[in-house]
Amino acid sequence: MITFDNVTVRENGQTILNGVSFSIAPQERAVFFGKSGAGKTTILTTLIGAFRPAAGTILFSGNPVTGSTVHELRRAVSYISQQPVMGADRVEDALLLPFTFKANRSGRPARETIERILSRLHLEPGLLEKESEVLSGGEKQRVAIARELLQNKQVFILDEITANLDPESKAAVLELFGSSPFTLLSVSHDPDWLKMCTSFYRVAQGAVTGPVERPDYSEMVR
Amino acid sequence: MQTIDISYPLMLTMFGLLLLPIAICYYLKIPVVKTTIIAVSRMTVQLVLVALYLEFLFRVNSIWLNFAWVLVMLLVANSSIINSSGLRVRVFFLPLFAGVAIGTLVVVFFMVFITVQPQPFYDARYIIPITGMVLGNCLRANVISLERFYSSIRKNEKEFLSYLLMGATLKEAVAPYMREAAKAAFAPTIATMTTLGLVSLPGMMTGQILGGSLPVVAIKYQIAIMLAIFSATVLTAVINIRLSMGVSFSEYHTLNKQIFSG
Repeated sequence: MITFDNVTVRENGQTILNGVSFSIAPQERAVFFGKSGAGKTTILTTLIGAFRPAAGTILFSGNPVTGSTVHELRRAVSYISQQPVMGADRVEDALLLPFTFKANRSGRPARETIERILSRLHLEPGLLEKESEVLSGGEKQRVAIARELLQNKQVFILDEITANLDPESKAAVLELFGSSPFTLLSVSHDPDWLKMCTSFYRVAQGAVTGPVERPDYSEMVR
Repeated sequence: MQTIDISYPLMLTMFGLLLLPIAICYYLKIPVVKTTIIAVSRMTVQLVLVALYLEFLFRVNSIWLNFAWVLVMLLVANSSIINSSGLRVRVFFLPLFAGVAIGTLVVVFFMVFITVQPQPFYDARYIIPITGMVLGNCLRANVISLERFYSSIRKNEKEFLSYLLMGATLKEAVAPYMREAAKAAFAPTIATMTTLGLVSLPGMMTGQILGGSLPVVAIKYQIAIMLAIFSATVLTAVINIRLSMGVSFSEYHTLNKQIFSG
Protein backbone atom coordinates (compact mmCIF):
# COMPACT_ATOMS: atom_id res chain seq x y z
CA MET A 1 0.00 0.00 0.00
CA ILE A 2 2.78 2.45 1.00
CA THR A 3 6.38 1.89 -0.06
CA PHE A 4 9.48 3.98 0.55
CA ASP A 5 12.14 2.87 -1.90
CA ASN A 6 15.59 4.24 -1.00
CA VAL A 7 14.15 7.67 -0.14
CA THR A 8 16.60 10.45 0.70
CA VAL A 9 15.48 13.85 1.92
CA ARG A 10 17.69 16.91 2.23
CA GLU A 11 16.79 20.17 3.90
CA ASN A 12 19.06 23.24 4.09
CA GLY A 13 21.98 21.17 2.80
CA GLN A 14 21.57 18.50 5.52
CA THR A 15 20.53 14.90 4.80
CA ILE A 16 17.61 14.24 7.13
CA LEU A 17 16.50 10.91 5.65
CA ASN A 18 19.12 8.68 4.14
CA GLY A 19 18.07 5.89 1.77
CA VAL A 20 14.93 4.92 3.70
CA SER A 21 13.15 1.78 2.48
CA PHE A 22 10.14 -0.02 3.92
CA SER A 23 6.76 -1.27 2.79
CA ILE A 24 3.47 -1.06 4.68
CA ALA A 25 0.63 -3.43 3.72
CA PRO A 26 -3.09 -2.53 3.93
CA GLN A 27 -4.44 -2.74 7.50
CA GLU A 28 -0.91 -2.96 8.90
CA ARG A 29 -0.47 -1.01 12.14
CA ALA A 30 3.12 0.19 11.90
CA VAL A 31 5.04 2.19 14.48
CA PHE A 32 8.35 3.98 13.99
CA PHE A 33 10.46 4.36 17.12
CA GLY A 34 13.87 5.79 17.97
CA LYS A 35 15.57 8.66 19.73
CA SER A 36 14.36 12.21 19.43
CA GLY A 37 15.76 13.80 16.24
CA ALA A 38 16.27 10.40 14.54
CA GLY A 39 13.93 11.32 11.66
CA LYS A 40 10.65 9.62 12.67
CA THR A 41 8.41 12.64 12.13
CA THR A 42 10.25 13.45 8.88
CA ILE A 43 9.26 10.02 7.53
CA LEU A 44 5.59 10.75 8.25
CA THR A 45 5.65 14.31 6.90
CA THR A 46 7.58 13.25 3.80
CA LEU A 47 4.80 10.82 3.03
CA ILE A 48 2.23 13.62 3.06
CA GLY A 49 4.42 15.74 0.79
CA ALA A 50 5.93 18.21 3.24
CA PHE A 51 9.32 17.35 1.72
CA ARG A 52 10.13 16.33 -1.79
CA PRO A 53 12.61 13.41 -1.85
CA ALA A 54 16.01 14.30 -3.31
CA ALA A 55 16.36 10.64 -4.34
CA GLY A 56 14.26 7.48 -4.25
CA THR A 57 10.56 6.87 -4.78
CA ILE A 58 7.47 6.78 -2.62
CA LEU A 59 4.70 4.54 -3.89
CA PHE A 60 1.09 4.83 -2.79
CA SER A 61 -1.24 2.03 -3.94
CA GLY A 62 1.43 1.09 -6.47
CA ASN A 63 1.72 4.57 -8.02
CA PRO A 64 4.73 6.86 -7.58
CA VAL A 65 3.99 9.99 -5.55
CA THR A 66 4.85 13.01 -7.68
CA GLY A 67 3.76 16.63 -7.91
CA SER A 68 0.68 15.59 -9.87
CA THR A 69 -0.33 12.61 -7.67
CA VAL A 70 0.52 13.93 -4.19
CA HIS A 71 -2.90 15.59 -4.02
CA GLU A 72 -4.68 12.23 -4.47
CA LEU A 73 -2.55 10.76 -1.70
CA ARG A 74 -3.40 13.69 0.57
CA ARG A 75 -7.08 13.19 -0.02
CA ALA A 76 -6.75 9.50 0.92
CA VAL A 77 -4.60 9.77 4.04
CA SER A 78 -5.07 11.47 7.35
CA TYR A 79 -2.31 13.15 9.38
CA ILE A 80 -2.79 13.89 13.06
CA SER A 81 -0.05 15.24 15.31
CA GLN A 82 0.31 15.67 19.06
CA GLN A 83 -1.24 19.15 18.77
CA PRO A 84 -4.05 18.76 16.26
CA VAL A 85 -5.21 21.71 14.19
CA MET A 86 -8.82 22.75 14.85
CA GLY A 87 -9.06 25.38 12.10
CA ALA A 88 -12.34 26.93 13.33
CA ASP A 89 -13.68 28.63 16.44
CA ARG A 90 -16.64 26.26 17.01
CA VAL A 91 -16.24 22.49 17.27
CA GLU A 92 -18.99 21.82 14.72
CA ASP A 93 -17.31 24.17 12.24
CA ALA A 94 -13.97 22.47 12.89
CA LEU A 95 -15.55 19.09 12.15
CA LEU A 96 -17.15 20.37 8.96
CA LEU A 97 -14.10 22.32 7.77
CA PRO A 98 -13.07 19.75 5.11
CA PHE A 99 -16.55 20.00 3.62
CA THR A 100 -16.14 23.72 2.98
CA PHE A 101 -13.56 22.83 0.31
CA LYS A 102 -14.79 22.35 -3.25
CA ALA A 103 -13.53 18.76 -3.50
CA ASN A 104 -15.65 17.60 -0.52
CA ARG A 105 -18.73 19.83 -0.65
CA SER A 106 -21.03 17.09 -1.93
CA GLY A 107 -20.03 14.75 0.93
CA ARG A 108 -21.13 16.99 3.82
CA PRO A 109 -22.30 14.58 6.55
CA ALA A 110 -25.70 14.67 8.25
CA ARG A 111 -25.98 15.58 11.93
CA GLU A 112 -26.74 11.94 12.86
CA THR A 113 -23.54 10.74 11.18
CA ILE A 114 -21.51 13.32 13.10
CA GLU A 115 -23.11 12.31 16.41
CA ARG A 116 -22.56 8.58 15.67
CA ILE A 117 -18.86 9.15 15.00
CA LEU A 118 -18.51 11.35 18.10
CA SER A 119 -20.01 8.56 20.21
CA ARG A 120 -17.45 6.07 18.80
CA LEU A 121 -14.86 8.33 20.37
CA HIS A 122 -16.84 8.71 23.61
CA LEU A 123 -17.68 12.35 22.88
CA GLU A 124 -21.06 13.93 23.71
CA PRO A 125 -23.09 15.71 20.95
CA GLY A 126 -23.20 18.80 23.21
CA LEU A 127 -19.54 19.31 22.38
CA LEU A 128 -20.53 20.51 18.89
CA GLU A 129 -21.73 23.85 20.22
CA LYS A 130 -18.56 24.50 22.25
CA GLU A 131 -15.67 26.78 21.35
CA SER A 132 -12.65 24.79 20.14
CA GLU A 133 -10.43 26.78 22.48
CA VAL A 134 -12.07 25.46 25.65
CA LEU A 135 -11.57 21.77 24.75
CA SER A 136 -9.00 19.73 26.63
CA GLY A 137 -6.04 18.29 24.71
CA GLY A 138 -7.72 14.87 24.72
CA GLU A 139 -11.01 16.23 23.41
CA LYS A 140 -9.22 18.15 20.64
CA GLN A 141 -7.38 15.00 19.64
CA ARG A 142 -10.63 13.01 19.45
CA VAL A 143 -12.38 15.79 17.49
CA ALA A 144 -9.47 15.75 15.01
CA ILE A 145 -9.84 11.97 14.63
CA ALA A 146 -13.62 12.29 14.25
CA ARG A 147 -13.07 14.80 11.43
CA GLU A 148 -10.89 12.30 9.59
CA LEU A 149 -13.48 9.54 10.09
CA LEU A 150 -16.15 11.82 8.62
CA GLN A 151 -14.02 11.96 5.46
CA ASN A 152 -13.93 8.14 5.35
CA LYS A 153 -10.14 8.08 5.48
CA GLN A 154 -8.63 4.62 5.80
CA VAL A 155 -4.93 5.45 6.14
CA PHE A 156 -3.84 7.27 9.29
CA ILE A 157 -0.48 8.92 9.85
CA LEU A 158 -0.26 9.57 13.55
CA ASP A 159 2.52 11.44 15.32
CA GLU A 160 2.59 10.76 19.09
CA ILE A 161 -1.16 11.11 19.32
CA THR A 162 -1.47 9.43 22.73
CA ALA A 163 1.21 11.61 24.34
CA ASN A 164 -0.37 13.92 26.94
CA LEU A 165 -3.83 12.33 26.64
CA ASP A 166 -5.95 11.80 29.74
CA PRO A 167 -6.78 8.11 30.47
CA GLU A 168 -10.35 8.39 29.11
CA SER A 169 -9.26 9.91 25.81
CA LYS A 170 -6.40 7.46 25.44
CA ALA A 171 -8.68 4.48 26.02
CA ALA A 172 -11.12 5.77 23.39
CA VAL A 173 -8.34 6.33 20.84
CA LEU A 174 -6.74 2.93 21.45
CA GLU A 175 -10.13 1.21 21.24
CA LEU A 176 -10.93 2.90 17.92
CA PHE A 177 -7.63 2.16 16.19
CA GLY A 178 -7.29 -1.31 17.72
CA SER A 179 -10.69 -2.42 16.46
CA SER A 180 -10.84 -0.81 13.00
CA PRO A 181 -9.37 -2.08 9.71
CA PHE A 182 -7.30 1.10 9.17
CA THR A 183 -3.74 1.22 7.88
CA LEU A 184 -1.61 3.03 10.46
CA LEU A 185 1.81 4.64 10.20
CA SER A 186 2.64 6.03 13.59
CA VAL A 187 5.36 7.45 15.75
CA SER A 188 5.01 6.65 19.41
CA HIS A 189 6.87 5.86 22.60
CA ASP A 190 3.71 4.80 24.40
CA PRO A 191 3.85 1.10 25.51
CA ASP A 192 0.04 0.83 25.27
CA TRP A 193 0.12 2.08 21.68
CA LEU A 194 2.88 -0.39 20.84
CA LYS A 195 0.78 -3.27 22.17
CA MET A 196 -1.87 -2.38 19.61
CA CYS A 197 0.59 -2.12 16.67
CA THR A 198 1.50 -5.06 14.43
CA SER A 199 4.86 -3.99 12.94
CA PHE A 200 7.86 -2.08 14.30
CA TYR A 201 10.51 0.01 12.55
CA ARG A 202 13.62 1.37 14.24
CA VAL A 203 14.73 4.84 13.10
CA ALA A 204 18.28 6.05 13.78
CA GLN A 205 20.16 8.94 12.16
CA GLY A 206 17.72 9.25 9.30
CA ALA A 207 17.77 5.54 8.41
CA VAL A 208 15.15 2.84 9.01
CA THR A 209 15.63 -0.79 10.02
CA GLY A 210 12.67 -3.09 10.01
CA PRO A 211 10.31 -4.60 10.50
CA VAL A 212 11.94 -5.66 13.76
CA GLU A 213 10.73 -7.66 16.76
CA ARG A 214 8.36 -5.91 19.17
CA PRO A 215 10.72 -3.69 21.23
CA ASP A 216 10.53 -3.16 24.98
CA TYR A 217 10.46 0.40 26.34
CA SER A 218 14.22 0.74 26.96
CA GLU A 219 14.91 -0.38 23.39
CA MET A 220 12.50 2.18 21.96
CA VAL A 221 14.48 5.21 23.07
CA ARG A 222 17.93 3.69 22.70
CA MET B 1 -3.42 83.83 -4.62
CA GLN B 2 0.31 83.01 -4.65
CA THR B 3 2.06 80.71 -2.14
CA ILE B 4 4.60 82.58 0.01
CA ASP B 5 8.03 81.34 -1.02
CA ILE B 6 10.45 80.51 1.80
CA SER B 7 13.86 82.06 1.28
CA TYR B 8 16.91 79.81 1.69
CA PRO B 9 18.14 81.56 4.87
CA LEU B 10 14.65 81.23 6.42
CA MET B 11 14.54 77.59 5.29
CA LEU B 12 17.67 77.07 7.38
CA THR B 13 15.71 78.16 10.48
CA MET B 14 13.63 75.01 10.10
CA PHE B 15 16.83 72.96 10.25
CA GLY B 16 17.64 75.00 13.37
CA LEU B 17 14.39 73.75 14.88
CA LEU B 18 15.80 70.24 14.52
CA LEU B 19 18.39 71.05 17.19
CA LEU B 20 15.64 70.87 19.81
CA PRO B 21 14.58 67.21 19.26
CA ILE B 22 18.21 66.19 18.69
CA ALA B 23 19.22 67.81 22.00
CA ILE B 24 16.36 66.03 23.80
CA CYS B 25 17.36 62.65 22.29
CA TYR B 26 21.01 63.28 23.11
CA TYR B 27 20.23 64.29 26.70
CA LEU B 28 17.94 61.29 27.27
CA LYS B 29 20.45 58.99 25.50
CA ILE B 30 17.78 57.86 23.01
CA PRO B 31 19.96 56.21 20.36
CA VAL B 32 18.51 57.93 17.28
CA VAL B 33 20.71 61.02 16.90
CA LYS B 34 23.00 59.58 14.23
CA THR B 35 20.18 57.90 12.30
CA THR B 36 18.11 61.10 12.47
CA ILE B 37 20.96 63.18 11.02
CA ILE B 38 21.45 60.61 8.23
CA ALA B 39 17.68 60.48 7.54
CA VAL B 40 17.33 64.29 7.43
CA SER B 41 20.36 64.60 5.16
CA ARG B 42 19.07 61.91 2.82
CA MET B 43 15.60 63.45 2.76
CA THR B 44 17.00 66.88 1.93
CA VAL B 45 19.31 65.67 -0.84
CA GLN B 46 16.63 63.40 -2.34
CA LEU B 47 13.99 66.13 -2.32
CA VAL B 48 16.33 68.76 -3.77
CA LEU B 49 17.24 66.38 -6.59
CA VAL B 50 13.57 65.50 -7.16
CA ALA B 51 12.67 69.21 -7.16
CA LEU B 52 15.28 69.89 -9.83
CA TYR B 53 14.12 66.89 -11.85
CA LEU B 54 10.44 67.75 -11.44
CA GLU B 55 11.06 71.32 -12.56
CA PHE B 56 12.75 69.91 -15.63
CA LEU B 57 9.89 67.42 -16.18
CA PHE B 58 7.23 70.11 -15.81
CA ARG B 59 9.04 72.43 -18.20
CA VAL B 60 9.62 69.79 -20.90
CA ASN B 61 6.33 67.95 -20.23
CA SER B 62 7.13 65.15 -22.69
CA ILE B 63 4.95 62.07 -22.78
CA TRP B 64 8.01 59.78 -22.95
CA LEU B 65 9.86 61.47 -20.10
CA ASN B 66 6.76 61.48 -17.90
CA PHE B 67 6.08 57.80 -18.40
CA ALA B 68 9.77 56.95 -18.04
CA TRP B 69 9.68 58.66 -14.62
CA VAL B 70 6.55 56.69 -13.70
CA LEU B 71 8.41 53.51 -14.70
CA VAL B 72 11.35 54.49 -12.45
CA MET B 73 8.93 55.07 -9.56
CA LEU B 74 7.36 51.63 -10.14
CA LEU B 75 10.76 49.90 -10.27
CA VAL B 76 11.99 51.56 -7.07
CA ALA B 77 8.71 50.87 -5.25
CA ASN B 78 8.81 47.23 -6.36
CA SER B 79 12.36 46.69 -5.07
CA SER B 80 11.49 48.42 -1.83
CA ILE B 81 8.38 46.24 -1.34
CA ILE B 82 10.33 43.00 -1.90
CA ASN B 83 13.26 44.00 0.34
CA SER B 84 11.07 45.25 3.17
CA SER B 85 8.92 42.10 3.05
CA GLY B 86 11.96 39.92 3.76
CA LEU B 87 11.68 38.21 0.37
CA ARG B 88 14.28 37.57 -2.32
CA VAL B 89 14.38 40.24 -5.05
CA ARG B 90 15.66 37.73 -7.64
CA VAL B 91 12.62 35.46 -7.14
CA PHE B 92 9.88 38.07 -6.89
CA PHE B 93 10.99 40.98 -9.06
CA LEU B 94 9.00 40.13 -12.19
CA PRO B 95 5.70 38.89 -10.70
CA LEU B 96 5.53 41.70 -8.17
CA PHE B 97 6.49 44.33 -10.73
CA ALA B 98 3.55 43.16 -12.81
CA GLY B 99 1.26 43.38 -9.75
CA VAL B 100 2.45 46.83 -8.68
CA ALA B 101 2.28 48.17 -12.24
CA ILE B 102 -1.18 46.78 -13.02
CA GLY B 103 -2.74 47.78 -9.68
CA THR B 104 -1.25 51.28 -9.66
CA LEU B 105 -1.59 52.22 -13.32
CA VAL B 106 -5.22 51.09 -13.65
CA VAL B 107 -6.16 53.39 -10.76
CA VAL B 108 -3.91 56.32 -11.71
CA PHE B 109 -5.07 56.25 -15.32
CA PHE B 110 -8.69 56.09 -14.16
CA MET B 111 -8.26 59.09 -11.86
CA VAL B 112 -6.18 61.18 -14.29
CA PHE B 113 -7.81 60.36 -17.63
CA ILE B 114 -11.43 59.90 -16.57
CA THR B 115 -11.92 62.03 -13.44
CA VAL B 116 -9.39 64.92 -13.63
CA GLN B 117 -8.93 65.04 -17.45
CA PRO B 118 -5.87 67.36 -17.67
CA GLN B 119 -4.79 68.83 -21.00
CA PRO B 120 -2.58 67.27 -22.28
CA PHE B 121 -3.60 63.95 -20.73
CA TYR B 122 0.03 63.13 -19.80
CA ASP B 123 0.56 66.44 -17.96
CA ALA B 124 3.43 65.88 -15.52
CA ARG B 125 1.81 68.14 -12.87
CA TYR B 126 -0.95 65.53 -12.48
CA ILE B 127 0.52 62.18 -13.54
CA ILE B 128 3.68 62.35 -11.42
CA PRO B 129 2.34 63.50 -8.02
CA ILE B 130 -0.78 61.33 -8.23
CA THR B 131 1.29 58.25 -9.12
CA GLY B 132 3.68 59.11 -6.28
CA MET B 133 0.92 59.38 -3.69
CA VAL B 134 -0.81 56.20 -4.81
CA LEU B 135 2.45 54.26 -5.03
CA GLY B 136 3.72 55.45 -1.64
CA ASN B 137 0.60 54.14 0.07
CA CYS B 138 0.56 50.90 -1.95
CA LEU B 139 4.15 50.32 -0.92
CA ARG B 140 3.31 50.29 2.79
CA ALA B 141 0.25 48.08 2.27
CA ASN B 142 2.08 45.57 0.09
CA VAL B 143 4.96 45.24 2.53
CA ILE B 144 2.44 44.40 5.27
CA SER B 145 0.38 42.00 3.14
CA LEU B 146 3.29 40.05 1.64
CA GLU B 147 5.26 39.86 4.87
CA ARG B 148 2.19 38.78 6.85
CA PHE B 149 1.02 36.28 4.20
CA TYR B 150 4.27 34.37 3.81
CA SER B 151 5.42 34.55 7.42
CA SER B 152 2.09 33.21 8.71
CA ILE B 153 2.13 30.28 6.28
CA ARG B 154 5.71 29.56 7.35
CA LYS B 155 4.81 29.84 11.04
CA ASN B 156 1.66 27.70 10.68
CA GLU B 157 3.09 25.11 8.32
CA LYS B 158 1.31 22.17 9.98
CA GLU B 159 -2.02 23.97 9.89
CA PHE B 160 -1.48 24.85 6.22
CA LEU B 161 -0.58 21.24 5.38
CA SER B 162 -3.61 20.00 7.27
CA TYR B 163 -5.85 22.09 4.98
CA LEU B 164 -4.21 20.43 1.96
CA LEU B 165 -4.80 17.04 3.61
CA MET B 166 -8.47 17.92 4.04
CA GLY B 167 -8.72 18.25 0.27
CA ALA B 168 -8.18 21.99 -0.08
CA THR B 169 -6.69 23.29 -3.29
CA LEU B 170 -3.69 25.62 -2.93
CA LYS B 171 -5.98 28.65 -3.32
CA GLU B 172 -8.34 27.30 -0.64
CA ALA B 173 -5.47 26.41 1.71
CA VAL B 174 -3.93 29.90 1.55
CA ALA B 175 -7.28 31.70 1.82
CA PRO B 176 -7.25 32.21 5.64
CA TYR B 177 -3.69 33.63 5.51
CA MET B 178 -4.58 35.85 2.57
CA ARG B 179 -7.63 37.25 4.36
CA GLU B 180 -5.59 38.05 7.49
CA ALA B 181 -2.76 39.61 5.48
CA ALA B 182 -5.15 41.71 3.40
CA LYS B 183 -7.07 42.87 6.47
CA ALA B 184 -3.85 44.03 8.13
CA ALA B 185 -2.71 45.76 4.94
CA PHE B 186 -5.96 47.64 4.33
CA ALA B 187 -6.54 48.66 7.96
CA PRO B 188 -4.27 51.77 7.97
CA THR B 189 -5.93 53.23 4.84
CA ILE B 190 -9.41 52.52 6.19
CA ALA B 191 -8.47 54.10 9.54
CA THR B 192 -7.04 57.14 7.74
CA MET B 193 -10.22 57.60 5.69
CA THR B 194 -12.33 57.31 8.84
CA THR B 195 -10.50 60.09 10.68
CA LEU B 196 -9.54 62.31 7.76
CA GLY B 197 -10.31 65.95 8.48
CA LEU B 198 -10.94 65.22 12.17
CA VAL B 199 -7.58 63.92 13.36
CA SER B 200 -5.38 65.06 10.51
CA LEU B 201 -5.51 67.44 7.60
CA PRO B 202 -4.17 65.42 4.70
CA GLY B 203 -1.02 66.43 2.83
CA MET B 204 -2.53 66.82 -0.61
CA MET B 205 -5.34 69.05 0.63
CA THR B 206 -3.00 71.16 2.77
CA GLY B 207 -0.60 71.50 -0.14
CA GLN B 208 -3.32 72.63 -2.49
CA ILE B 209 -4.70 75.15 -0.01
CA LEU B 210 -1.20 76.54 0.57
CA GLY B 211 -0.82 76.61 -3.22
CA GLY B 212 -3.85 78.87 -3.52
CA SER B 213 -6.65 76.44 -4.36
CA LEU B 214 -10.12 76.90 -2.93
CA PRO B 215 -10.80 74.51 -0.01
CA VAL B 216 -13.70 72.94 -1.94
CA VAL B 217 -11.38 72.12 -4.87
CA ALA B 218 -8.74 70.80 -2.49
CA ILE B 219 -11.30 68.58 -0.79
CA LYS B 220 -12.48 67.13 -4.11
CA TYR B 221 -8.89 66.18 -4.94
CA GLN B 222 -8.37 64.78 -1.47
CA ILE B 223 -11.45 62.56 -1.69
CA ALA B 224 -10.44 61.42 -5.18
CA ILE B 225 -6.90 60.58 -4.08
CA MET B 226 -8.10 58.66 -1.00
CA LEU B 227 -10.43 56.59 -3.18
CA ALA B 228 -7.58 56.01 -5.62
CA ILE B 229 -5.20 55.03 -2.82
CA PHE B 230 -7.65 52.55 -1.33
CA SER B 231 -8.51 51.02 -4.71
CA ALA B 232 -4.87 50.66 -5.69
CA THR B 233 -3.99 49.25 -2.26
CA VAL B 234 -6.59 46.51 -2.60
CA LEU B 235 -5.73 45.80 -6.24
CA THR B 236 -1.95 45.64 -5.80
CA ALA B 237 -2.09 43.65 -2.55
CA VAL B 238 -4.44 41.00 -3.94
CA ILE B 239 -2.75 40.80 -7.36
CA ASN B 240 0.70 40.62 -5.75
CA ILE B 241 -0.23 37.78 -3.43
CA ARG B 242 -1.79 35.86 -6.32
CA LEU B 243 1.10 36.47 -8.76
CA SER B 244 3.78 35.78 -6.16
CA MET B 245 2.20 32.40 -5.34
CA GLY B 246 3.37 31.15 -8.75
CA VAL B 247 7.00 31.28 -7.62
CA SER B 248 6.52 30.58 -3.89
CA PHE B 249 5.14 27.06 -3.76
CA SER B 250 6.60 23.76 -4.91
CA GLU B 251 4.75 21.35 -7.15
CA TYR B 252 3.80 19.62 -3.86
CA HIS B 253 2.16 22.94 -2.86
CA THR B 254 4.54 23.41 0.05
CA LEU B 255 6.15 26.79 0.68
CA ASN B 256 9.63 27.16 -0.85
CA LYS B 257 11.84 28.29 2.03
CA GLN B 258 14.30 29.78 -0.47
CA ILE B 259 11.94 32.68 -1.08
CA PHE B 260 12.94 34.34 2.20
CA SER B 261 15.95 36.62 2.15
CA GLY B 262 16.86 36.18 5.82
